[in-house]
Parts: sequence; C-alpha cells; structure tokens
Amino acid sequence: MPKKLLHGANKRLIVDYRYIDYRLTMPKKILDPLPSAAFQILISLAEEDLHGYAIMRQVAAQTDGHMRLGPGTLYSSIRTLLEAKFIQEVDLREDIKLGHERRRYYRLTSAGRKLARAEAERLGDLLRVARARKIFRGDYV
Amino acid sequence: MSEKIYALLLRLYPAHFRKAYAEEALQLFRDRARDESGFFPTLRLWMDVLADLAFTVPREYFRVQRAIVTAPAPHRSHGMPAFFVLENESPRFEALLFGGVLSLLALGAIFVLSGQVGIYRPLSAWGSPSQTARLNPQNAASAMIPVAHDDANLDAAERQRVIDGAIANVNKFYVDAEVAQKTADALLAHKNSGDDDGEMDGAAFADLLTRQMKEASQDAHLEMIYNAVKTPENPPEPTPEEVARYRTDMECRNCTFEKVEILPHTNIGYLKLNAFPDTAICQSRAAAAMQRLNDVDAIIFDLRDNRGGYANMVALLATYLFDRPTHLNDFYNRSENSTEESWTLPPVPGNRLADKPVFVLTSPTTFSAAEGFSYDLKMLKRATLVGETTSGRGHMGEGHRIDDHFIIRVPGVRAVNPISKTNWDGTGVEPDVKVKAGDAVETAKKLAESHLRKYHLHNEADESKTEPIPP
Repeated sequence: MPKKLLHGANKRLIVDYRYIDYRLTMPKKILDPLPSAAFQILISLAEEDLHGYAIMRQVAAQTDGHMRLGPGTLYSSIRTLLEAKFIQEVDLREDIKLGHERRRYYRLTSAGRKLARAEAERLGDLLRVARARKIFRGDYV
Repeated sequence: MSEKIYALLLRLYPAHFRKAYAEEALQLFRDRARDESGFFPTLRLWMDVLADLAFTVPREYFRVQRAIVTAPAPHRSHGMPAFFVLENESPRFEALLFGGVLSLLALGAIFVLSGQVGIYRPLSAWGSPSQTARLNPQNAASAMIPVAHDDANLDAAERQRVIDGAIANVNKFYVDAEVAQKTADALLAHKNSGDDDGEMDGAAFADLLTRQMKEASQDAHLEMIYNAVKTPENPPEPTPEEVARYRTDMECRNCTFEKVEILPHTNIGYLKLNAFPDTAICQSRAAAAMQRLNDVDAIIFDLRDNRGGYANMVALLATYLFDRPTHLNDFYNRSENSTEESWTLPPVPGNRLADKPVFVLTSPTTFSAAEGFSYDLKMLKRATLVGETTSGRGHMGEGHRIDDHFIIRVPGVRAVNPISKTNWDGTGVEPDVKVKAGDAVETAKKLAESHLRKYHLHNEADESKTEPIPP
C-alpha cells in the first residue's frame, strides 16, 4: 500500500485510526425493547415538529387521554431518543398559542421514523395473531 | 405556589438531568397548571406529577450506572486511539431499594420544608447545599433541603488534582497547541478566581470543567468525564472474547451493510452502510458487496445513518472508485508530532466502478468516518453529495485517566484533507445538492438517471468516432 510518512517516528504500515464516539453506540440497547412512552413520542412527531408540552398533549390525544406524560417521563424519554438520534432538536421559537416564551422543538429523524414504523408493524403482527386466536369478542375489527 | 413546590421537587433529580431539562420541565408544569385549572384538574395534575417523580427520579439515578454497564467493549487495534468505558456490576437490589426509600423520605422532607421557603430563586442559580447556604445564609431551611448527589463527594484536594490533570493533559495532547494553551489558561483562571470552589458533586464538577474548556476552545469534543465506578490505572487490551464478540456482532449484522441492491427499473447500485467496520473482520463482506454492484452504471452510497468506524474501511471502499492509488486523507497527531497518510489500496482486478458516477447520501446523523468518506470524495470531485449537512466530527480523541473517577477526553488526532488542508470538524460536510435527508434517495436516483441519459446521448453521437475498448 502506498504510504508516506511526512515526519515523526511512527512507522506503522497500516493506517488503522478509528473515528470514534463511544457515546453514540450506547442508547440503542436502552431502547430495545422500545418503551411505550418513547413510541408514543415518536408517533406524535410523525407529522410536525413539536415542543415538549405539545408532545404531551398530542400523546394524550392519540391515546384518548390514557397516557399523560409527566415532565420527568417526557424529558427522560426525549433525552434517550435524542442520544440515539431518533429525534433531533430543531430550534427555539415561540408558540403563539401559548404566549411569548421560546420553546425547544423536536423533530423525528429518518432513523426515528423507521424505528416507529418497525414497532408499529410489530404491534400490527401481534394484533393479527390476537385476532386469529379470537381474543376479541363480537365483531371487533 | 404550585410552581415553586414543583421547582423544589425538581431538585430531587440528579444534576445531569436538572441541567438539561429543569427549565423545560418547569415550563411544561406551568403550561399544564394554566390549562388545567379547577379543583379536580389540579388534583389530577399533582397526582400525575407525583407519580411521575416516583418513577423517574430513581430511574434517572440508575441511568448513569446503566449507561456505563451497557457501553460496548471497544475493539482496539494496535496504536488506535480509543476510549475504554469499563464494565462494572449493576447496582444491587438492596442499593436500589435503599435509594427508593431515601427518595420517599426526601419527598416528605420537601413538603415539610417547602412551607418555610420564602424566597424563590430560579433553578439555574441553585448549586450544592454548601453554595445554597453561602448564597442565602439568612435562610437556613433552604440549606437543609436534600439535594441530589452522585456517589462521590469531592474535596478540595481532588478538585485541585482534577484541574491540574486537565491542564496538563490539554497542554500535552490537544491537537492545536495555541488553543491548548488558551484552554489551559482559562482553566487556571477559573480555578484562581474560585469558580470551581464548593462543587461537591462529581458529575456536576465534570460538567463545569467541560463548560469552561468548551468556552475557551470552542471544541465540543474536549470534555471531562466523571465515572462513578473506579477506573483502573491501565486500560486492559481487549480480550479474545471481546474480539470474538465484535466479530460475531458484525457477522450477525452483515458488517452493517444494510442493503446492497440495484434500484428497481434502473441499473443504479444502492448500498446502505451504517458503520465503517474494521477490515480485519469485514473485508470479505465489503468486497462481496462491491462485487455485487460491479456492473452498475452509477452507485449510491447511503450514509445517512452511518455512525462511523475505521479509516481502513473508508480506504477499502474508496479503492473501488479509483483506477489508481489515491491520497484520501492525513491524520495529524500533535503529541507524537506525526502525520500519517491514508491512501486507497491498489486497484482491485476486474473492478468496473472506477469511472462510474458516485452519489453519497448524508444527513445530520452521518458521523465521523462516514463524514471522512463523504468529505474525501467531495474534495477529490469523485462524488456528488446529496442530503443534509453532516454532524461535524472530524477529531479523534483519547481518554486520559486523571484519577479513580475522572477521565479527560482530549481530541489529539485531526483529519487533514490534502486538498482543502482542513476538515469538517464543527462545521459538518456540506452536500453538493441540499435536500431533506428523507428525499435524498429519490433525488440521487433522478440525478443519476439524468446523468446517465446525457452520457448515453453523448456516446451515441460519438459512437462512430469512438475506438473500441480492448478487453
């Protein structure tokens, strides 16, 4: 392999530097399996960027009010999803419906969308099995 | 009043959580309190908040340990800069139970004490108990409020040792001597002016020094890391089991070659690669992937989810795109005062991709080695980059142990492109064609098709003049 050393006494034959950021590889295991709060947050961001409170409201709406994310759960999940690059922070801006405070908005990344889709498919498969096993009563579809 | 109580309750969270999200959590509480007025909605809000605290406070403390436990054992080749995050046992059940009981006691104490707190100060002004007492001596009650601590309490001697260690390591290893000096001076100035005094919490102290170093150097990769578990003096070399685990992991994931295919109804190759694994393990799979696409008319490398890896894989894949050994990049190591050149390998016999159009898809989650691959090809005008600007990690760092609990990460090696004489650190690699990362495949496909149409038209026009290429 052509190789020149400009200066210094390093005489290795192969350039084997590893570009490294060990933190990047950690959170994946934390999100496996995907907690339902994290899944709901990903779903809530599917159509538009939202700030924390809007995510909370959207999650409450999409679960018919069954899941009201507290601040600790919400921001703990957001942090994990950010570290795993499933969502990203976009900017600070006002939400005119809520006053003049500037709020941090979050956006779904392509990896996050893919993860949400995979989880939805998994749940869809589960639903199909449950239906096949006649777990539902009556004519539920 | 409710907001003040919630602000106090937020102090139960560990420092790393408070620093990142306390203000936003408070804002969310404010929003809910405003929108959910009345007796029952307020009651429901408090039930939610207390349940949330009970679940998430212990989890946030546990999170620090868990992150350490689940950190992968890095595979290291000789001389390769790497960080070792050492595994340790998970906290025992008794310890978790004790932590839970302590949290409940603290919660009760907060309720009792909150009635006595007269002056509200914003969260960002809060520090450790000793700081609280010093800042607000007339209010002894606030000093008694339990504050979230990590495992170790720092004394002055350890703070001194860590700061001195940081200064020495930055001066010795940081990739830019001038910035190193400036950063070391800033650390010293903060120390002398007493900015570091009184910080008892290990993680918060590490964060404080990181902020000081970042402010002086403008380099987000320079950081102090606090490790609650004791760090051994000499990081061990990876064991054969760890190497075997890396090999198995890579084999299970097809060396992160997620897709190697020809796009439907075209002759455009599409290769989605999610890391640049070590060629010592993955050379044959990489060669097989490139061989499979050997007859395409254009090739798309999808690096939008690529988390980086080894320079040797960058060079190996780039080899297929050139008909001669090509200088890709240099690695400058300041402490060794050495520069190593990274070149592509000699051409692969039978390879037909060397003159085919190349497209590289990028996104904000394209990291380090993937950025190197994109940047090098862009500088050599060998590829068209499509997508969004990459994350901007162009330095490679090593962890240097300062004492049992503190490690400083110092970028000591810098990629230097031989054409631009610089790299993408901090700025990211800008694509040639800027589109949303989600639209990059479609855009690159259209660009490739358009390029190929023009190429075929041109060839048809010149066909009579063209000499046949000997086999």
